[in-house]
Order: sequence, then structure tokens, then C-alpha cells
Amino acid sequence: MANIRQLDKRRKSVKNIRKITRTMELIATGRFKKAMDRAAAATDYTKRITAIVQDLANSGTEVSHPLLTAHEKIDSIDMLVLTANRGLCGGYNGSVVRAATARRAEIMQQIQNGEISVSGKRGISAMRYAGIPIEKTYTEFDDKPSFAAVARIADDLIERYITGKIDRVDVAYTKFVSVSKQVAVVETLLPFSSLAVPSAEKATGAGAASGTSAGTKDDYEFLPSASAILEEVVPASFRARLFKCFLDAAVSEQIARMVAMKSATENAGDIIKSLSRRYNRARQSKITQEIMEIIGGVEALG
Amino acid sequence: MSNDGKVHCVVVTPEKTELDTVCDSLVLPLFDGELGIQPGRAPMVGRLGFGILKIRTGTSVVEWFVDGGFVQVTREGVNILTDSLVKPSEIDRKQAESDLDRAMAIKSTTPETAALKERSLAQARAKVRLGS
Repeated sequence: MANIRQLDKRRKSVKNIRKITRTMELIATGRFKKAMDRAAAATDYTKRITAIVQDLANSGTEVSHPLLTAHEKIDSIDMLVLTANRGLCGGYNGSVVRAATARRAEIMQQIQNGEISVSGKRGISAMRYAGIPIEKTYTEFDDKPSFAAVARIADDLIERYITGKIDRVDVAYTKFVSVSKQVAVVETLLPFSSLAVPSAEKATGAGAASGTSAGTKDDYEFLPSASAILEEVVPASFRARLFKCFLDAAVSEQIARMVAMKSATENAGDIIKSLSRRYNRARQSKITQEIMEIIGGVEALG
Repeated sequence: MSNDGKVHCVVVTPEKTELDTVCDSLVLPLFDGELGIQPGRAPMVGRLGFGILKIRTGTSVVEWFVDGGFVQVTREGVNILTDSLVKPSEIDRKQAESDLDRAMAIKSTTPETAALKERSLAQARAKVRLGS
């Protein structure tokens, strides 16, 4: 008797959970689409900046900038870890934190200096739990990271790098490869390896031609000079690159949540099915038993 | 650039394409002074400063605040790459003032840090000047 009621109760609560997870999946899907649009809109800038870099390179300017040169002696390494503010997104936060702590352990074997900055509440609590001191925390980046906020972080890093306070900057984040593949990676952003922002080449495709006007080579006039433009191009593409990391992380988070919630919904459905089966069986056997009792009673009377 | 008497102007920020318009002429805040662009301008790449971008169509002039970046003039049109494009009235003056204080505090001991300080100062000053 108690068993039947218990089964029914459990089935009801699983049904409620399924409702919640299904809603979360739908929300994540909507946010993922928006995040994808934002990421797509951002490629226009990287595309055009690559075109300018191309023009500079064609003009024979020697490419040199303090952000491009690696420091001879590496004494201090900063790391930026990008995680989500909220959980319930499968292994998303865990894998970034794992990648970051592994890299930190590597760094710590060689040098003792370096700050860790973490974005996202999940990463912050995971790092605290691991006993890793955190220098700066950011929780304002959700599914819509704003460039202004990212640029502030970038400018701060540029300043620290140029003034020689730090010799390398690593960023741990989830890289968006495709809709079905995202990987947690740790990338070295400073010294800045190449001016061409990754994926710009791939994303441009046919569109790239419009910037440099297909085939015809224009002799550009540089105002005030090619080197002065280079001075600005390098930090600008670094900022764009860091912003891309944030965008990638945001898109990947929504995908991870979508996938996690989809499987949670499916799992809830399975549990409901098996609970229903057990409930029906228990109910039926109870009915059978009662009938048997009644028949037994009638027979005894007769 | 096309010679039909119009300038095709595209403003792009890292977030999105802010503006895609056709106008008669425009005035850009370059790094070291203003530059006017009319249809048929020879191809160039310029470094932008922090200031007001004026876009003229007919008799109407639209003003925007440009936060550094570059301009690329091609045969097709004018591409402006900037960190942010806002109406001058939307500039956060308080934020700009604190940025100015921060920029003042940068110690310039090497040519690189001097350049950094100069840039931050120019940015903050332009925002304080134009902000409301």
C-alpha cells in the first residue's frame, strides 16, 4: 500500500524535474542561437583587421611591436580562466578548471610568480576549493560578454606586459570548434604569436575579397605612417582575440548546457517509464490480491 | 571608391557591424587631426584618434564618437574599425574621469610605456571633453 503511494510520489517529482530540464534546454537553445549570432557578427571586425594587416605586410613594413616580442627571461605568468557563472552544464566548467590547474602545476614547477584571474562563479569556487589563490574575479560575463568589459581586461594585460610585470599570459577557456565539438584549451595569448586572428581566414572565405578588392592591388597611403598604424593594430587585434575567447566560451557554455539538459530530460523520461511500469504492476497485484481475498471470503462463507 | 558622388561607409566594432550607410562625405578624427573624405578618395589606411566622426548626407550631419581604431579607404568604400561607436551624449563622463586618473598614474619610464600612457591619456581626455 505504502509502496504504491511512494512510487506515485516519485513519479510526480521526476515529472516535475523533467519539466524543468526541458525548459532549461529550450532556454539554452535560444541563448545559444543568440550567442552564435554575436560570434558571427564579431568575425566582421577580425576579417577587416586581417585585411589591414595584409595591406601593411604588402607595403613592406617591418612588423615589430612590444606585444609581439617574447621576453627573454620568463619570471611571471598570468593566467585567465574563463568559466560559467552557473552549473548544470555537464563537464563544461570541470574540464576548463582541470586544464587550468594542470597548466598551473606545470608553471609552478618552474617559477613561483603569476596571478590567476577567474571569470565565472563556478571557476572561482572550484579554484578556491583547490586552494589556489585568485588575484581577480569577474562575474559580469554571462552569455553576452561586452567588448568594453573585455577591453578593460585586455588593456590591463597589455600594460602589465609592456611594463615588464608579466612575461606571458595564458588563457584557459573552452574553444568552439563546431556545434558538435568544443574543447577546453589553455592558449598563450601574450607574447602575441600572429597578427591574423584565428578563424578569420576560415570564416571570411569569399567575403575576404571585398576588403582588398579582388585581385587589384591598391597602393595604400598610410596616415600618419605604416609603423604608427602597426602600433595600434597589434593591441587592437589582441583585444579582438581575447574577446573571441570570451565569445567562444559563451557559445560553448550554452551548447554544453543544451546537451546536458537534453540528456537529463531523456533520462527523466526513462525513469518515468520504469516507475510507471512498477507502479502499474504494484497496483495490479494489489487488485489481484484483493479479489483473491474476496473470493476466499465468499468460498469460506459458502 | 565608386565615383557616383556617394561614399559607402561601414563602421565595424569587435561586437558587430554598427553602421552601414551611404553618405555624401564624412569627417574622420585621425590620430593627428581631422580628415575629410569625399567620393573618389585615393586608397589609404589611417590611424584613428578619439573624437567625433561626422557623416554628412545632403544637409544633415550625424555625429558619432569614435574610440580609436583605423580607417581603411578602398575603391569600394570607407571601412572604419573602432572599439566602440556611441553617440556623444552617451559617453560616461564619470568613467572617463576615473580612467583619466588611472592614465595619469601610469609611470612612463620606457618608450613603450610612454606610448601607452599617451594613448590612455588621449582617450580619457577626449571622453571627458565630449562627455556630458
